[in-house]
Amino acid sequence: MAIPEDCSSPALTFNRISVTRGETKILEDVSARVPLGGNTAIIGPNGAGKTTLLLALLGQTEYSGEILFSGNTTRPRIGYVPQRFAFDRGLPVTVLEFLVMGLQRKPLWLGIGRKYRERARTLLKAVQAERLEESHLGALSGGEMQRVLLALALQQDPELLVLDEPSAGVDVKGGKVFCELLEDLGRKWGFTQLMVSHDLATVTHHASHVICLNRKVIAQGSPDQVLSVDVLKSLFGIHMGVVDSGIIASPKKDFSKEEKGGDDA
Amino acid sequence: MMPDLTSLYDLVGWLLPLECLELTLMRRALLGLVLLAPMTAAMGVQVVNFRMAFFSDAISHSVFAGVAIGLLLSISPGWSMPVFGLAVGLCIMLLLRRSSLSTDTVVGVIFSGVVAFGLAVVSRDPAVSQDVEQFIYGDILTISDGDILGLFFLLAVLLVFQYFGFNRLLYIGLNAGLALTHRIRVGLYQYLFAGLLALVVVLTYNAVGILLVTAMLVVPAAAARNFSRSAGGMFWWAMLISISSAVAGMVISAQEWADTATGATVVLVAFTWFLASAVFGAFFNHSRKFH
Repeated sequence: MAIPEDCSSPALTFNRISVTRGETKILEDVSARVPLGGNTAIIGPNGAGKTTLLLALLGQTEYSGEILFSGNTTRPRIGYVPQRFAFDRGLPVTVLEFLVMGLQRKPLWLGIGRKYRERARTLLKAVQAERLEESHLGALSGGEMQRVLLALALQQDPELLVLDEPSAGVDVKGGKVFCELLEDLGRKWGFTQLMVSHDLATVTHHASHVICLNRKVIAQGSPDQVLSVDVLKSLFGIHMGVVDSGIIASPKKDFSKEEKGGDDA
Repeated sequence: MMPDLTSLYDLVGWLLPLECLELTLMRRALLGLVLLAPMTAAMGVQVVNFRMAFFSDAISHSVFAGVAIGLLLSISPGWSMPVFGLAVGLCIMLLLRRSSLSTDTVVGVIFSGVVAFGLAVVSRDPAVSQDVEQFIYGDILTISDGDILGLFFLLAVLLVFQYFGFNRLLYIGLNAGLALTHRIRVGLYQYLFAGLLALVVVLTYNAVGILLVTAMLVVPAAAARNFSRSAGGMFWWAMLISISSAVAGMVISAQEWADTATGATVVLVAFTWFLASAVFGAFFNHSRKFH
């Protein structure tokens, strides 16, 4: 498949990625580019292989093909914000400990070094969650957890920030605020963003580049180029009522609730 | 050459001038328990976080097979048990990482195979099968100077591992996928943990018997979870509960009015700690359990 030349310096190039599980082809010959510094969204229906493509990128699933990072195969520093952070909520861990555990060598039972404490505070401040420092991790709400996970991802000082469904489990307003926070952080920290999303409203508002995926790449380019009625029809098929009713022209509504039935991750 | 441990036992007697600790035998047993307790406490924290209680059960039941292999190859069980336990632990971890079967299925399958093999071989030999009771109940009083030195060595190794591995293991216990993405060497830590846990389990069985090994790992850590608000706090609570249970259990079991099996008494004291922690958790710590 020809790769459009509109993005001159890609942060990331997927080159003919295929993933097969048993008999099922999950991804077929996916070639796409993620422009440097922008916010790229991968959209597609359930089962389109969006998360699988992320897992391939993160090196957590077998694939054929090639993923190039700024032209070579060395993986850059990646910060990852998972969709569902499944963990044992009864485990006693504070937010501060959570943010320090990946950096500090000295065990947490000997206390937290000042350097690491300061660093964790800076990160919490960056995601506007300073007040959560002493909170118990298991007691956080969906939106709070998302911010703490974003802080943990930022701790990697990422060149590439990968988010899986950032608007899942958060209400419409919360999702919007989170996306604005991401845009702001992307500018300040200078990382490239790659997100998987169900939510067309989020994508049209916040993405600078879109990859439409349904096992294959259906289209890619800037949102106004790509999010046409024809592309969305072939991507989502039966959900096209919402496009025909003109919502895409003025995308204010959150579609994710309709598709996923109010997913509470 | 065996170093003389007499002065160490004298120290135990001086620290705890109790009538029941006048015999060196008893002092040695107490020292053995006090060396084991911090190991099971520290490893127990991760056993609970990783949900690996069943894993430790499988290892403890592999001691039969360890003895059986010793018999077949004419090796002392003192060597064949830890080596076999280690092999079983690493084997389960390998399967867990590679197989699509669930954790309890993988552990259950290995568990059954190992126990069946051990019982089959051991049952052929009447001399060994008479010792089965000791496998089940354990006997801390049979601990030797060599065992004590072995425990000192393992404790040192384990403290180094816990020093360097605690934070990483917490990360993996919370979410292995995220830990991997954020450049933690998940596989390395999982294998090291499984191997060391296997060694701790094999050494603990001698003190409390195979039925109660898992209790020594799980009960102090579970109680610690109820008492603490942070991961660092949980570690120290587990230490306190485990060591105090070891000492109190040993002393109580040696009283004339009690005259109970030491291992079982230690676990009962720890269990009492757990009950207290559950009450404490219900009244004072419920804020973090509203999910």
